[in-house]
Order: sequence, then structure tokens, then C-alpha cells
Amino acid sequence: MISAYRLVDPLSPYRALFRHLALVVQMARRDVVGRYRGSFIGLLWSFFNPLLMLIIYTFVFGVIFKSRWSGQVGGHFQFAIILFAGLNINSMFTECANRAPTLIVENTNFVKKVVFPLETLSWSAVGSALFHLLVSTLVLLIIEWLAIGPVPWTVVLFPVVVACFLPFVAGVVWLLASLGVFLRDFKQAIGVITTALMFLAPIMYPKEIIPAEFRNWMYLNPLTAIVEASRDVLVWGRQPAWGILGLYTILSVLFAWAAFAWFERSRKGFADVL
Amino acid sequence: MSSDVLNIRVENLGKRYEIYAQPADRLKQMVLPRIGRAFGREHAYYKEFWALRDVSFEVRRGETVGIIGRNGSGKSTLLQMVCGTLHPTEGSVAVNGRIAALLELGAGFNPEFTGRENVYLSGLLYGIPENVLRSRFQSIVDFADIGDFINQPVKTYSSGMYVRLAFAIAAHVDADTLVIDEALSVGDVRFTQKCMRYLREFQKRGTLLFVSHDTGAVTNLCSRAIWLDGGRQVMDGSARDIVEHYLAAQHAADRAALGESVTVHVAADAGEPASQESHGMPEDVVDPRKALLNGEASRNLVEVFEFDPERIDSEFGAGAARIVDVQLLDGDGKAHRLIAGGEVADLSIEASVLEPISAPIFGFYVKDRLGQRIFGDNTYVSYHERPVHAQPGNRLRAHFRFRMPVLPNGDYSVDVALATGTQVSHTQQHWIHDAISFKAHESTMRHGLVGIPMHGIEIERVEA
Repeated sequence: MISAYRLVDPLSPYRALFRHLALVVQMARRDVVGRYRGSFIGLLWSFFNPLLMLIIYTFVFGVIFKSRWSGQVGGHFQFAIILFAGLNINSMFTECANRAPTLIVENTNFVKKVVFPLETLSWSAVGSALFHLLVSTLVLLIIEWLAIGPVPWTVVLFPVVVACFLPFVAGVVWLLASLGVFLRDFKQAIGVITTALMFLAPIMYPKEIIPAEFRNWMYLNPLTAIVEASRDVLVWGRQPAWGILGLYTILSVLFAWAAFAWFERSRKGFADVL
Repeated sequence: MSSDVLNIRVENLGKRYEIYAQPADRLKQMVLPRIGRAFGREHAYYKEFWALRDVSFEVRRGETVGIIGRNGSGKSTLLQMVCGTLHPTEGSVAVNGRIAALLELGAGFNPEFTGRENVYLSGLLYGIPENVLRSRFQSIVDFADIGDFINQPVKTYSSGMYVRLAFAIAAHVDADTLVIDEALSVGDVRFTQKCMRYLREFQKRGTLLFVSHDTGAVTNLCSRAIWLDGGRQVMDGSARDIVEHYLAAQHAADRAALGESVTVHVAADAGEPASQESHGMPEDVVDPRKALLNGEASRNLVEVFEFDPERIDSEFGAGAARIVDVQLLDGDGKAHRLIAGGEVADLSIEASVLEPISAPIFGFYVKDRLGQRIFGDNTYVSYHERPVHAQPGNRLRAHFRFRMPVLPNGDYSVDVALATGTQVSHTQQHWIHDAISFKAHESTMRHGLVGIPMHGIEIERVEA
């Protein structure tokens, strides 16, 4: 048995998810709860963390720098909220990518001692990051509602935007988790890469201020399309650029498929080097 | 449950480890040779090591198979492949039904998780739905008996607690096959007993694959054994035969390390699963006392089958002396085929000396049907102050006089041996497995290994 899945099937990454859904949920839940274990207010940290960050952003960018987004109206909170909408997407990605290279290495038992569906580790990592993204988004919407006014109806499209993003993130985890077993350098390199991706996406600045000749290159950054789309639906109250999002989804699904296939092919080598 | 249903089929199984100097070489090996081949060049980034090769066997439902071998003989590799955690390099493994494994130290717990979380996680891995797990949780906790530690991360557990929990889970997942690798050696006596009770119960319905260095446990628990050495399958047969051969080979290897040669004669029919009956002598041995003794139901009769040098099944030794006669006599020193339990018996072992030897030690073991050693003794302590010396051509005879214990009904055999050296470091000159055998009849004893003569049995009424 090399793989329990037919790798020619582009849906195999999702079959892995649904076949072991109970396990994925259990692992993700334990991941979220485990992070705050032993702390006094426990799970509330997942709520206070983004809240405190948002307040800091507001003070630093809104009050000190007096930063303004192009076309922005409104007060101190506005910039922070726009920034936050993008950063949330980024931190979801970063959280997964940073963990990925050590995901298998830290769970040696699952490779050598039991028959564990290793492919689900990726989904559970994504699941726990997703939880944090949703809490952060909730914080964002509450502040937006308190500081600015009613949240736009397009918020209901946010899950759609996230759904387009998830295959890509899961794919990154599969790829990095597999490579991280063989090349321990990834653990070091990934921090630099995720930081670079953050600065090279229109998260801290509007896309419009990028010189025109570079502007479309930005879409090579896998974060760009999703950052823009989530800002569209959460802050600007407009529909996302469906064309870009559609293309992104196709690429995202293809990437997840390839990464999953690679993971399944390479997993038989895990036990040899762990 | 039909016993001829195949549960595990292992065919020409082999596992090659590719030893990589660094993990990155493993990745290169995955990618580069394909490119290399396209250009007509071959390069391997690893050194080969075969942990297991050409191993084939079948296990039927309900069988209990022990796997023995020295460290590094491939036992764990074999089990890991049976369980599916390792991918075979060649050959195949087919397993029917749910398999629960206790490999090395417990199952694959996540050390950061609490015991409770690991119970649910492991349960899900075995495919037990969460609601079923919830209903069995208390029973698992009771079995493991680790108290409040169930809510602590598993990394804080002692190795004993770890195994307790792992065993408790494995016992609650309705496995068809249970694979146990050395796991029981770390538990305390009480828990080991609990596990053994469970295993004996489990044997009635499921298949058990059992690895242990404890050959006693293997003979005790298993009907059949497979002996691995250096990744090869040396023998497959009845647990008792295999353990005997294994111990003999072990001894030979130990002594070889000290520069002495001990030859091992493996019986020609070994390797085939031998039936227990093939050892027996004709059963219609008639003894004048038998009729008399049969009248007393409480007597424990021990029917002795005499030593036959032509029928030695398996023996080993360095060969400076040979045991030529073994007799189990009654208290008067007469050879009788029937000796009663509780009476004095005299075991005599006669050896012919072929090379000059000093400080010979005679010894014997009485073993039950499963090869479990029940009792035994040797001449070392009695003679180490005044060692006997013997020249070629001499004959030595040792006597052991003891009260024959009351033995549960069944077949017994006696291993006899002549060694030279000390209790701690000695060379077996000649060891004969099952030199003589005997049968115990009519025992009032039903449980336990041996009975001892009771000096008094009474019930009295005491004032409250």
C-alpha cells in the first residue's frame, strides 16, 4: 500500500478530508485548545489576541502614522480595519506554512508506531488556523460595526473567499511537510519566505500605489487575490473580482492535487529518515 | 469461528533499509535517479541494509504465534510491516480484519496530548466511532488503572503507565488480531497478570502475534513460534521446539564468543509443526503396581517413559562428555515406570567422558507440555568445593533425589545436561531436550503448575 487514494483523482485531497473527518476535527480541536492550555483565560486568548492587535494597529497606524488608505474616509479605525482584513489572511497562511515543515517530524510516532492517515495532519493544521481566522474576522466585524457602522451584506461571501483559499493552504502544508522531513533547512527558510510574501502582497498598502508596470505581477503572490477579495467583502462592501477568484480557485485546486499526490508518493520514505 | 480462515498471509517479505548519510539524500534518491537513468547513469545515494528477507508464513484465525530472535533479528520490522506502519521492499502482507498493535513502548501516542485525548485519537485510528468510544471510555480507564494521570499529557507518564493505557485501548477496540511487541515486559506483576488473563481470553476468539525475549512467555502463551535470525526465517514450528532450538543456538553463540565450540544437532523433523503426540511412547505400558494404585483415586501417578539414546530429538553441546543414560527411579532406586506424586524419586544421569574434564555440573529441568520449566536443579553448589575430575573413558553418574511433586494431568519431559565451568559461566558439554518423558494421571490437582504434599487439611469451627 503506497497510497490509499487514487492519485489521478483531483478530488482525492477532499476524499482524505471526508474519510477521516472525525479525526481531523479531533486533531484540530485539540490543537486549538492545546495552544492555550495552562493559561488563565484559556480559549479567550484566541479572541483577545486579535482584539489587542487591532487596537495596537489603530494606535500605531491611525494615530501615530496617520496613515490613510487611498480613497479612505473615516477615522483612526478605518486604516487598522483595512490592514487587519489583509493581515488575517496572511496570518492564516503563515500559521500553516510555519508549522508545516515540522508537522511530520514532530509526530514521528504517527509515522512509525501506528497506522495513521498522515495526510489528514495537513487538514487539521488548516482547520485550527481556520478557527483563528474566523475568530479574528469576528473581532474585525465587531470593531467595524462599533467604530464605523453597519457591516456590509457582502460579509456573507467571506466563506466563499476562504473556501477558494483553503486548497492552496492545504497544498502548501502537504508540500512543506513532506519536504521538511527530508530537508531540515525548510524550517529555517520558511520564516523568511512567509515574511517576504506578506510584504510583497498588498496588505499594508493599497495595490494602487504600486507602479503600474509591477501591479499585475502582484497576482503571482498567492496571497494577493485572497487579500483583495476578503477586503472587498469585509470592508468595501463589494463583490470580489469573480474572474480572478475563479482562476485562483482552479489553480488552488490543481496545486492542492499536485501537492497531495507528491505527499502520498513521498510518504513511504518518511519512516526511512525519521 | 472457523479456525481455517487465514488471518495473516506473509509472502517472501523483505525490508531493505536504505541508510542515508543525511535526510536530503533520501530526497535526491527519490528524484535524481530517474533523471540519471534517462541519461544512462545510475547512482544510489544510500547503503543497503536488509532488515528482513524471504520471510513467509500464514497465520490462521485463532492461532497464537510467537516470534523469537535476538535483538536486531528483524522481529520488530516484521511486526511493523504486518501492522502496516512500514512498507515492504519486496513481498507482500495481507491481513484480514482489524489489527491492534502494541509496538515497542505502547501505541503511537502523541506525547503532548492527555491520556484522555489519546484514547479518543487512538480509538478513531482504529476506526471506532466517537460515541462508541465514549461509552467504553470508563472501561478503558478502569483497565489501565492509572488514576488521575488520564488527564495529564502522556509525556508525563512512566513507561509502565504508557503501556497500561496502550494495552487498555488495544483491549477495547474489538481487534481481530493483536500484535504485541515486548510491551508486557515493562508493566508490574499485577498488570502483567491482568494482561495475561486478557490475552488468554482473547486467544479464544482472535489471532495473537507475540514478540518477546522471554522464551518462557512464548512457550507459555503460544502454540507456534517463528524464529528469526539476521532477518531470515530460521524455523517455524511448535513453540516448544523452536524455543529449545533457539536457546541451544543462543548458548552455542555465547560460548563461541568465548572461543569454545558447541555443536547443535537440530532434529531432522524440526521446522515442521510437530504434533505433541509424536514424542510419546506407546501408552499401553503395563506396570504391576498400576492396578493397585488405580484403586486409590487420590494418588497422582506419574508414568515414566524411559530414555532411549536412539530417539534423542534435539541435543547440543561441546561434546567433551556425552550423556548415555537417564533414569527416573523410585525411592528404592528401582526403575519403575510408574512413580506416584508426593513420593521420593531418584533421577540418575549417566555420562561417558570423551575428553578430560574438570568440575562437571549435572543438571535437569522438568518441563510441562508447553515447554515451561517447572523445576530443576544441578550439582554445582554441592560440588563446587570439591570438583570432580574425569578422564576419557570414565563414566560419571549423578543422582538427584527429590520428592516428586503432585503434577496436574498431562505430559512432562525432562531436559538433562552436563556442563563444565561455574554456575555463572559454563559450557554445555551435552544437553538433551526431552531425554525422558512422563505422564501424570489421576491428579486431584487441576490448577497451578505443581502441587505440593499437604501436611494437613482441615476445617475447624472457631468462636466468633
